[in-house]
Amino acid sequence: MSLRHALAALLAGGIALAALPWLLSDFLLALALSCVMYAGLAVSWSMFCGPSNYLSLATAAFFGLGAYVTAWGAGALPYGLSVLAGGLVAAGFAALVGAAVLHLRGAYFAVITFGLGELVRHAITYYEKAYEGTVGRIIAEAPESTTVYWMVLAVSTAAVATALGVRASRLGLALRGIGSDEERAQTLGVNARRAKVLAFALSAFFAGALGAAMAVRWTYIDPPTVFNPFIGFQTVLIAMVGGAQTILGPIVSAVVFSLLTEFLRLQFPYLFLVILGLLLILLVLYLPGGIASLFVRARWRRGNA
Amino acid sequence: MSLWFELAVSGLITGGIYAVVAIGLNLQYGLMRILNISHGEFLMLGAYLTWLGYTVLQVNPLVFLPVVALVLFVVGVAVYRLCFYRIVSTAPAVEVIEARSLLVGFGLLYLVQNLAYLTWGADLRGYSFLAEPLEVAGARFSLNRVVVFGFAVGASLALLAVLRYTLIGKAVRAMMQSPTGAQLVGIDTKFLHPVVFGAGLALAGVAGALLSMVYEISPAMGEPYTVTALIVIVLGGLGSALGSLLGGFLLGLVETFGMHFTSPSLKMLLSYSVLIAVLLARPKGLFAR
Repeated sequence: MSLRHALAALLAGGIALAALPWLLSDFLLALALSCVMYAGLAVSWSMFCGPSNYLSLATAAFFGLGAYVTAWGAGALPYGLSVLAGGLVAAGFAALVGAAVLHLRGAYFAVITFGLGELVRHAITYYEKAYEGTVGRIIAEAPESTTVYWMVLAVSTAAVATALGVRASRLGLALRGIGSDEERAQTLGVNARRAKVLAFALSAFFAGALGAAMAVRWTYIDPPTVFNPFIGFQTVLIAMVGGAQTILGPIVSAVVFSLLTEFLRLQFPYLFLVILGLLLILLVLYLPGGIASLFVRARWRRGNA
Repeated sequence: MSLWFELAVSGLITGGIYAVVAIGLNLQYGLMRILNISHGEFLMLGAYLTWLGYTVLQVNPLVFLPVVALVLFVVGVAVYRLCFYRIVSTAPAVEVIEARSLLVGFGLLYLVQNLAYLTWGADLRGYSFLAEPLEVAGARFSLNRVVVFGFAVGASLALLAVLRYTLIGKAVRAMMQSPTGAQLVGIDTKFLHPVVFGAGLALAGVAGALLSMVYEISPAMGEPYTVTALIVIVLGGLGSALGSLLGGFLLGLVETFGMHFTSPSLKMLLSYSVLIAVLLARPKGLFAR
């Protein structure tokens, strides 16, 4: 599929999804919101981590930073602007940090990016307690839930469009080169440092913007809620189970995971995380290429038929 | 003066536990590139086993320690066989093993932690064991903390000795240096991998058993130790058991002194600052050669 076709399909999908608030009940709309949010997060994560084979666990940090930008700017900034600001703050933070730690690989990079999330969380907790005399913040004027849905949908659609653009660009090629052999890519003239920092910041922008957009859903936010490592882990799981090398994989997997989580939570309130854990292990063991490998296999079969 | 002494000792006690948890994780990572994020959950299992042994069977926790180690070793071999064997033997590259084992680790974390919630509930459990105070050079500690420290350091040193002086330790070190080379000289991966994975979990179980003598236990108790252990192994260098021991002590001291002179809410902030500072200055760990 060429870039133009993919973008057209994305636009059509986005418009169709934008009609959901008129069709769905409040409960189903909340479910759709969670699907769209995780799709955006997973695609933004795999934008950098998929092709480059870097394992970042910093999504929770970017998401939380974005949410706090909304909380700090509540009342002063209009909703749309605080989403933009949240993305920019997260991207700036990612660029700064990325310049310092992107020479680390593998487990080192995973551990330090996870540490970063916790570092920001504890720093904000400490700052709020010591200088603002508060633990959490109340967001008094929240926009309508349909507005939030459209905003999250817009950010997620933009994330997918950007991911498609990156994949077709020199940056995407550079990232793939870094992923298969970083030293060789550098020898062949790829400015690896610049490519990595740029892609890391770009991926953080969308995570931060989604955090800023979602913050108004919780009327009360505090660091444990918005820096919840579960959001970061869930994103990585969704992206990797979907197949982080692709763009469609994480989207499908986000929908499947969100619906499955909700279904299991309602059906088996106590056992649901046990089942989720078991499913995850089985998926990794028996479908290591992710959900995306199913489409590839199907296409391959059709091609040979 | 006695304040400094007290802080130093309590830092070393915490550090000793960190070291035991981290060495197990580090061995697994160093040998098989398995980054087992559910390591702390097996620590929690060890703690619950000891608690059950003490409250139900009335067995002295110290006597029960080898039983816990053995049970966790068997669990470890089973977990390796069921989950990680397939990953290690089918993955095309080292990075793939790291990524997939991380995912499986998350799965195990959900699974084990929530099974513990279902079995024992979310309440804090505890028992009192050797709680009488002990005075050393004007500083007071409860006896159980000193015992815990002794066993933690003992277990770490025993493991270092095994790695250094026995044939199996030599095989493990050879595998870490060069997996292909080790296989060429006849070292059996199929035997060594499950054994080392089991040993890692046995160490986690021992750490949990020791912790249960001092602190109250809960199904979520393991997670912070996993995070701390990751910090410790990065501090000490991936694959280096001695590095983990020293890194554990270092982090224990930094936390205890830092918490005393700043504020307890800064504990995690301090550990992460140390981690990030070390990684920026010495990306391969403090004790890497």
